[in-house]
Amino acid sequence: MTTFLLRRLAGIALTLLVICAVTFTIFYLLPNDPAQAFCGKDCTPDHVAQVRQQMGLNRPLIVQFGNYVWAIFAGRTMGSGSFAVHCGFPCFGYSFQTGMPVWSMITDRLPISVSLAIGSAVLWLAMGLLAGVVSALRRNSWVDRVLMIGTIGAAAMPVYFTAMLLLYFFCSQLGLIPYPRYVNFTDDPVGWAQNMLLPWITLALATAAMYARMTRSSVLETLSEPFVRTARAKGLRERRVVNKHGLRPALTPVVTMLGMDLGGLLAGAVITEQLYGLPGVGKLFADALHKSDQPVIMGVTLVASFFIVTSNLVVDVLYAWIDPRARLS
Amino acid sequence: MTRRTHAALAAAIAATLTLGLGACSKNKNDDGSDQASNGAGITTGGNGIIGGTPVKGGTLHILSNQDLSQLDPARNWTEPEMDFGIRLLYRTLTTFKAAPGKDGLQITGDLATDTGEPSDGDKTWTFHLKDGVKYEDGTPITTADIKYNVERSFDPDLSGGPDYAKKYLVAPADYKGPLKGQELGNDSIETPDAKTIVFHLKRPVAEFGYTATLPTFAPVPKAHEGGTTYGNHVFSSGPYKVESYDRGKQLTLVRNTYWDQSTDSVRKAYPDKIVMDQSGSPEGIADRLIADQGDDQSAIMYADMSAAKVADVLTNPDVKARLVSENENCTAMVTMDTAKAPFDNQNARLAVEYGIDKEAYQSAVGGPALSDIATTYLPPSLTGGTAVDHFKIPTGGDPDKAKQYLAQAGMSGGFSTELTADNAQKPQAEAVQAALKKININVTLNIVDASVANSTIGDKDRQTGLSLNGWCPDYPSGATFLPMMFDSRIVSDTGNLGNTSRFKDPSVDAEIDRIQGLTDTNAANQAWNALDAKIMDEAPSVPVTWQKKPLLVGGNIAGAFGSPIWSAEIDYATIGLKSAK
Repeated sequence: MTTFLLRRLAGIALTLLVICAVTFTIFYLLPNDPAQAFCGKDCTPDHVAQVRQQMGLNRPLIVQFGNYVWAIFAGRTMGSGSFAVHCGFPCFGYSFQTGMPVWSMITDRLPISVSLAIGSAVLWLAMGLLAGVVSALRRNSWVDRVLMIGTIGAAAMPVYFTAMLLLYFFCSQLGLIPYPRYVNFTDDPVGWAQNMLLPWITLALATAAMYARMTRSSVLETLSEPFVRTARAKGLRERRVVNKHGLRPALTPVVTMLGMDLGGLLAGAVITEQLYGLPGVGKLFADALHKSDQPVIMGVTLVASFFIVTSNLVVDVLYAWIDPRARLS
Repeated sequence: MTRRTHAALAAAIAATLTLGLGACSKNKNDDGSDQASNGAGITTGGNGIIGGTPVKGGTLHILSNQDLSQLDPARNWTEPEMDFGIRLLYRTLTTFKAAPGKDGLQITGDLATDTGEPSDGDKTWTFHLKDGVKYEDGTPITTADIKYNVERSFDPDLSGGPDYAKKYLVAPADYKGPLKGQELGNDSIETPDAKTIVFHLKRPVAEFGYTATLPTFAPVPKAHEGGTTYGNHVFSSGPYKVESYDRGKQLTLVRNTYWDQSTDSVRKAYPDKIVMDQSGSPEGIADRLIADQGDDQSAIMYADMSAAKVADVLTNPDVKARLVSENENCTAMVTMDTAKAPFDNQNARLAVEYGIDKEAYQSAVGGPALSDIATTYLPPSLTGGTAVDHFKIPTGGDPDKAKQYLAQAGMSGGFSTELTADNAQKPQAEAVQAALKKININVTLNIVDASVANSTIGDKDRQTGLSLNGWCPDYPSGATFLPMMFDSRIVSDTGNLGNTSRFKDPSVDAEIDRIQGLTDTNAANQAWNALDAKIMDEAPSVPVTWQKKPLLVGGNIAGAFGSPIWSAEIDYATIGLKSAK
C-alpha cells in the first residue's frame, strides 16, 4: 500500500509539473503581450520594454518557469526598494492587476466556489439517486421512461440557457426570489441560501442525469447478481433485499464519479459563476483571462489541477483499500 | 485611449450586445429620427438631468458586474473609473464642471485656486492650492504630495495611467519614479512652499490646465504609499473615503468628514454612503433596474446595458424615462493601411469613404439608440459640442461617387482586400463588407479574438488593408486626439496602436507641432478643427459612429446625467436620491 501511495504521489507531482509547463508555454506563445496590456493606452515601445523588464518577462522562458516553480515552495521577494514584499509558501506570485498575492485571492474566492459545488452536489445526488433507483425498480414502466427522458432533457440544456429560463421565471415573471447576488454566509445565512438556490439548481440539473443513469444501470446490475438471488432465496423481504444488499454495492461507482466531479467543481464553475455574478474562483479565472493577468491564470489553473488530481487519488486510494486488486494497476 | 481598450471594459456585455443587435435598429432607422438628433443622447427631464435636484443623505447603490481595474490615481486611465475616482475619492488640481452637454466641457480650479497661470510662453505652469483642503485624517493637502503622485506616474511598476506628465515634463530620460528612491529636481517640478507648485514643460502646452484634470495630478501622501497595492486602499482627498473594499465583490464608501463643501464648487456629495456591488450579472442588473424595487430604486448601473435590454426599455415609456444614453465622444473608424497598396492611393481611400454605408454600420452596433453617425474624426465634444459634417455624404453612402473615385485611382474594376475586426465586431465588419461589395471592392473578413486584435493591427506585416478601431480623447482638446491618430512620428513596426493607418504627411506633422505651440487655446481649437478637415480630405480612415452609453437608473435617483467627459458615464459629482428615506 505504501509503494502504491508513493507511486501515485509521484505521478501527481509530475502531472502538476506538466500542467504548469504547458500553461506557462501557452501563455508565453500567445500574441497578447501582458506588458503592453499593463502599460496602458498609447504606450511607447520604450516604455513597454521597461515594463517588460520590470515584470521579468524579458528573461528566457525556462528561467521564468524555473523561478516560478521554485517560488511556489521556497517563496520569493517581489518588488524592490522599500516596497519589496516577501511571498511565502505557497507563493503563486502577485496579480498584475491588483498587486495582491494570488494565493490569497484564490483562498478568498474558494468558499464561494466550494459552497456552490457542495450545494449543487447535494441537489444532484438527491435528484439523480432518487430518479435512478426508482427507474431501476420500475424498469421499463412509464415512470422509468418519463424519468430517463426528463433527466436527459435537463442535461441536454446548456447551463446558460437553464440559467436564463430560471431567472426569467423565478425572478422576473413570478418574483419569487430576488435576482441573485452574492451574500456572505456569515452575514445572512438565509439570504445566502436564497441567493445560491438558482445557481445550485442550474448546476444540479446539468449533472443529475448522469447520476440517474449510472445509478439505474448499477442498481439493475447489482440486483441481477447471484448474492441478491441468494438473499431473495433466503426469504428476505424485497425492501430489505434492495436496501441492504442491492443499493450499497450499486453506489460505489456513483461515489467515484462524485469524487471526480466535486474535484473539478471546487476550483470554480466558470459559466455558472459568470451568469449569476458569483465572485468565485471561476469568475476570478474568467476576469484574469480577460485582463491577461498571467499570475492569476497560472495560480487558478494549478489549484484546479491540484483538486482534480487529488480527488482522483482519494478515489483510487479508497478503491485500493476496498479492493486489493486495484493496487496492481 | 484606443476605442478597443475602451470597449474591452464592457467585454462581459459584448457578447450580448452582438446577439441582440438587429432587432432594435431596424425600427429606429425607419422613423428617421436619428439624423435630427445626431450628436445628442437620450435623457428626459429638465436640461437632460434625470430626477431633478437630489436631497442630502441616503445610500446610493452602484450595480456592476466586475471589479474596477485600478483606483490608484497614478494608474487610473479608463473614463468611467476616472469619473469614479476623481468625483468621489481624490481631487485634482483642476477639474471639469459637473453639467450635461457643453457646460460640462469647461474646467475650474479644484484643489487649485484657478486653472493655472502659464508663463514662459506656456512652458511653465503655476498652481496655488486653496485653503482648508484636507485628507480623510484631517491633515492638510500639500503640493509636495501632488508632486509625489506625478513622480509615481513615471514608475514602470505603476503602469497603465495617463502618461501626459511623462510626455510634457522636463525630466531625465531614465527617471523611474520615487519608489526607486529617485526624486524629480526643481528643473522639472518646484514646490517652493506647501501651497505652490510649478511645472516646467519641454514645450509649450496651452491646454495644460486641462491636463491637470487627470488623476496624475491628485495628491498621494508619501506616508500612505502602498506601491502596487495602493489602489486597494486609496487615501482620500475627496468627499468620500473607502470604508471597505472586497475586490470583485463590494466597495463601500462613506463620507470623508474632513472634506469641506466650501472648498469645492463642483462636487455636491449628496448621498451619505455609496455601495458599489461588483458581483451582479449584466442581465440581472438590467432586469433589477427595470423592475425598480426596494434598494434598486436607489441604484444606478455602472456598465453599458446590452442592446437587447435597451430595446425592452425603449418600448416602455415609464422605464425609458429613467434611461441615460449620451454620446461617449469616442470615434469608431474603419482604418486603411496607407503604407501599402491599394490604400497608398488617396482616390482608392476616398472610394471607401464614399462607399461605406454608415447607416448599416450604425444598425450593426445597435441603431440610433446606441450610436450616432460620425462625420468627422473629432467627436462633438471636441468641436464645440455639435457634430461637424465634413463631406456631407448621404448616411447610406454614395456608391456612384465612390465608383468615380475608383476610376480616378485607375481601379475601376475594383480590387480585393482584407478587414481585421475582433469577434464582437463581426456585425460591423459584415456591414462594411456588404457596402463595399456594391462598388466592386471584395472584402475578406479576418475576425480575431479581442485579445489579439491590437497586436495584429499594430504589426506592419500582419496588418490588413482595412481594420476597425477608434479613439477616445482624454479631455476636450484636439491635442488628445489628432496627434495620437495621425502623427507619422509615432508609427512603429509592431505594437502600433495610435496611428494605425500609418498615415504619413509631413505637412500634418508640421501643423501638429505648430498648433501645440499656440498659446491661445481658442485659436488652437480652431486650428485642430481645420487640421481635422484637412486629414479627412486625405481619408486615411473613415469615421463611422460615435457610440452612446445606455445606463438605466432607479426611480429614486436624482441628478443623473451622462458626463460629456468620461465617456457618458453618469457624473458621480452630482448624483443623489430623491428621497433619503
